Formats: sequence, C-alpha cells, structure tokens
Amino acid sequence: MEKSIEKIWSEGFLANDALIVPKINNLYEQKSIHIIDKFTRMFKINLITIIVFSFTFLLFTIYFGFPITGILFFIMLSILVIINKKLLNGLKEIDYSNNSYQYLKSFNTWMKKQIAVNKKIASFMYPIIFIAIILGLWFQDAEGVPLGERLVGEVLYGFPETYLVFGIPLIGIGVALFIIAILAIFGGKIYKFDLNIVYGRVLKKLDILLSDLEYLNN
Amino acid sequence: MSNDFYKIHILPFSGIIIKLCRAYTNSQEDFEDYYQEVCLQIWRSKPNFRKESEWSTWVYRISLNVCLTLLKKRKNNKQHFVSDSIASEETEDSYTFSDESLNLLYIAIKQLPEIDRAVIMLYLEEKSYQDIANVIGTNPNNIGVRVSRIKTKLKTLLDGKIN
Repeated sequence: MEKSIEKIWSEGFLANDALIVPKINNLYEQKSIHIIDKFTRMFKINLITIIVFSFTFLLFTIYFGFPITGILFFIMLSILVIINKKLLNGLKEIDYSNNSYQYLKSFNTWMKKQIAVNKKIASFMYPIIFIAIILGLWFQDAEGVPLGERLVGEVLYGFPETYLVFGIPLIGIGVALFIIAILAIFGGKIYKFDLNIVYGRVLKKLDILLSDLEYLNN
Repeated sequence: MSNDFYKIHILPFSGIIIKLCRAYTNSQEDFEDYYQEVCLQIWRSKPNFRKESEWSTWVYRISLNVCLTLLKKRKNNKQHFVSDSIASEETEDSYTFSDESLNLLYIAIKQLPEIDRAVIMLYLEEKSYQDIANVIGTNPNNIGVRVSRIKTKLKTLLDGKIN
C-alpha cells in the first residue's frame, strides 16, 4: 500500500464530487403515504373485526338463550360498520397527486370528520349496549319465566311496598336511566379513549408530521 | 425545518454526515434517504441539546444513531439475517467516488462491523478519542486500541487491492 488511510481519506474528499450535499425533498412524501396507508389498513382490520365479532356474538347469544342482546348488538354494529365503510370510501377520494402537506391536511380533515361522526354514534351506542344487555338478561328464560319477572317477584317478596311502573320497580328504572344518561354523556369520551388505544401511535405520528410541515411552510 | 436552521446547524457538518451515510448505504437513493432522515432528526432533537458536548459531537451522534437504526430497519424489512460483525451484504456498491483509492477505502470500511465504521471515520476526521467515545458511548481508554486494531484490519484489506 502506497498511501496511508489518513492520506487517502483527506485527499479523496478533495475531489469535487465526493461531498455533494443531497437535496432534501421527498422524505415527507414517503412518510405521509406510509402513515396514511398504515391507518387505512388498521381501520379496515378494525371494521372486519367488528363484523366477525357481531356474527360470533349473535350466535353465542342465541345458543345461550339471550338472543335480544345479540340481535341488538348485531344491528347496532352493522350500522356502525356501514357508516364507517362510507367514511372509508371518502378517504379514497383524497388526491394522491397533492403535495405532502395538502395530502396530510386532507387526511387530517377526513380524520376529524370521522372522529366527530363516531363520537356522535358513541353517545348512542354505549347506552344501546347497556339496554341490549339489560333486555337480554330480562327476557332470558329462568325455569319457564323471564329472568326479569322472576327477579321482580323476588324483590316484591322481600319488599312488598316496592313501587312498580309497568311491572318494573321504580328504583330499578331510576338506576337504569341514570346509567344510560351517564353513558350518553360520556360516550364520546369513552370513544376517544378507545380511539387512542387503537390508533394513538399513528395519530401522534400524523400530528408530528403535520406540525413539521406547518413549520416548514412558515 | 427552516432554511436558517439547515444553513447554520447542519450544513457546516454536512461533510461528516455525508461520509457517515455513505459508509452505511450502497446506493445513491439510500444515501439520500439516510441524509434526509439525519437532517430531520437533528432538527427534531435540537430542543434536547443541553450543551454538555460540542454541537458537532451531538450531530455525529445523531447521524450515527440514525444510520444504525435505518440499517437495522432495512435489514429487518429484507428479513436478511446478517451477522453484526461482518456486513457482507454491502460488498456490492452501486455508488462510486471518482477517486479510486477512496473507493477502495470505503469498500474496506464497509467490511468492518457497524460501530467500527463510525470509530474509524471519526478518527479520520481527526476527532479526539474523547469525542469518539462520547459519540459511541464508550470508554475513551479503549478507543486508541480499537482504532489501531481497525487500521491494521483496513491496511490488510487494502494491501490486497492498492499497489
């Protein structure tokens, strides 16, 4: 070897082409597409999981004798899937030819719309889940009598002065209405909590990317 | 990332960033990706810079971490299980420098384990053993021995290729 590695290093980089600084260009484009693809994939998987769950749960409730819960769950989750499938179709309308910033902004707008719609649905959905469970249990067969009626009978036996409305203890109706109201009020918050568990990391990445691009644009 | 940030905090150190990125990539396309990611991470990490070291040392450290992370990610993506000690997938290089000796030196450097590549490049950039140790996160006492071992290995590799 004629030259030392130190000499090769110092002389080699004197050549004009050795240290050409590359342009910073399409990094954000790649990241944007990657994040949106990832979210779309997760969203689809989530919808498929809901469909599979609603079918399985329906069969389970029929088998174990409280089909009202299964049917209500099935109807409610089917509506949820249909609405979200329509929202997903809206995602396909985002123009891929936009620059990264526009592309991400469009996605973010879609995301906000999707979250707002699902938040509204959640304020109905959680109370319906509760009602479905109560109705399912109420009408479940308990030795030839619906479980609810049997329970009312037991209550009346212990507390004969219990005030009934349509054959249901008033206190029970009060407690149920209170829980329904709480679920309706906090349904949106429960949904947001749920959303963060499933999509939290992707949404955080999206926020970082958008703030980077906003900073770049300013 | 603002233009000012790039010009003041990154561009003066672009030389070492380029040299490091070249040592961990094979193609111009990969090199540009690595370079951009390094710049982005330097910009993002700026608020965490606590002036405990020189800004240049901080830049080298981020550059090295990004290169190693991207290299690992790509290896995982390719499901290419290569020993950490010898990066045999990097023997074919689509990018070439106009200086033939430098080309061969890079080919030899790419035969080294990943951390040794960084050590020798920082040494060749005339960084002190203390600086190299700060970047790598090791004891400065070991750096001298390591550098001399790497140089011997490089000389052996180059002796077979350069007259």
